[in-house]
Amino acid sequence: MTNKKLISIVLGVMCFALTVAICIQVRSVQNSTTVSQSYEESNLRAEVLRYQERYENILKDIEDLNDEINKQIDEATQENSNLEDAQSQIKEGNMIIGTTDVSGPGVIITLDDSTTDPTTVFNPNDLLLHDLDILSVVNELKNTGAEAISINDQRLVTTSSIQCGGAIININGQRVGAPFEIKAIGLPENLSNLERPGGYLDDLREKYQMQVKLEKSNNITIPRYSGVITFEHAKTVE
Amino acid sequence: MVFIAILIGCVLGAIIGINAPVISYTYSSYLAIAIIAALDSVFGGISSVINKNFDLKIFISGFFGNAILAILLTILGQRLNVDIYLAAIVVFVWRMFMNLGTIRRYYVEKWSNKIKEKKIKKNS
Repeated sequence: MTNKKLISIVLGVMCFALTVAICIQVRSVQNSTTVSQSYEESNLRAEVLRYQERYENILKDIEDLNDEINKQIDEATQENSNLEDAQSQIKEGNMIIGTTDVSGPGVIITLDDSTTDPTTVFNPNDLLLHDLDILSVVNELKNTGAEAISINDQRLVTTSSIQCGGAIININGQRVGAPFEIKAIGLPENLSNLERPGGYLDDLREKYQMQVKLEKSNNITIPRYSGVITFEHAKTVE
Repeated sequence: MVFIAILIGCVLGAIIGINAPVISYTYSSYLAIAIIAALDSVFGGISSVINKNFDLKIFISGFFGNAILAILLTILGQRLNVDIYLAAIVVFVWRMFMNLGTIRRYYVEKWSNKIKEKKIKKNS
């Protein structure tokens, strides 16, 4: 009898481990990709996923190293007033070029494609948000005094471009798709003037039936630019 | 008794597995082959319980040994660019069907014996 009990306990534990593994496997496969019939295609897909994973890991490493550098710099400059001055200058400079996270009051604009049935209009292109729409909204934001802007967490810096990339838009070389969440830090009363009649947001909403939402917020956090800004050709004039 | 334990194990495993974190895509192919190996071991264990030659040591060592060997073979296959895991899958699935056949035969015989006994009782 004890032998049988032992057997059933062991088998139960084994089945437990097995079902846990099966559930995890099913969920991770579901998350990553649909099973493809073509051998070549599934191999390529796996390769892409593997590279994506590696990219994300490296990005995380970079962030950790940056934090480490900041900590070291803070420690090194703690008891030297000259260096502290330089440090605060560096911090200010980093804020201006967009390599630090910033937070403050501002607005969040959410833009999405129109829900109108595309078969009922002459030109279905008018129902989609384009790079130029985003660019115009960003332009108006800058005009009203936005200090920091991000689109779907892509920080806009001096070297940022907003480009059409087919069904998506390339910002900072990263693919960004609808719905777009444009965050801007500035005086919310000024920034919310974007909704004025005849403004670009009003145009998008009334003329093209896009889904436009503008929210004021007292605490918006805009992530830093994760790329590197380098000047190879430009030199300061003496 | 054995089957109640298996059922409880499966239900608990499913509950925990659904809430467990997702593993990265790189390792999911290894986990898949380990699952097949473990599944084979469990079916082998059930069929040996039925045949009454169940040995705990052999069962546990087979469960882990097969899974690890299958993972190692898969890694080796990826290094050599040969799909060795296909061979492992063929062997494991073949053995799974054999063991399932044993289990099925045992229960079909058991039930048909029971039905026969009932008929004899009714007639007598």
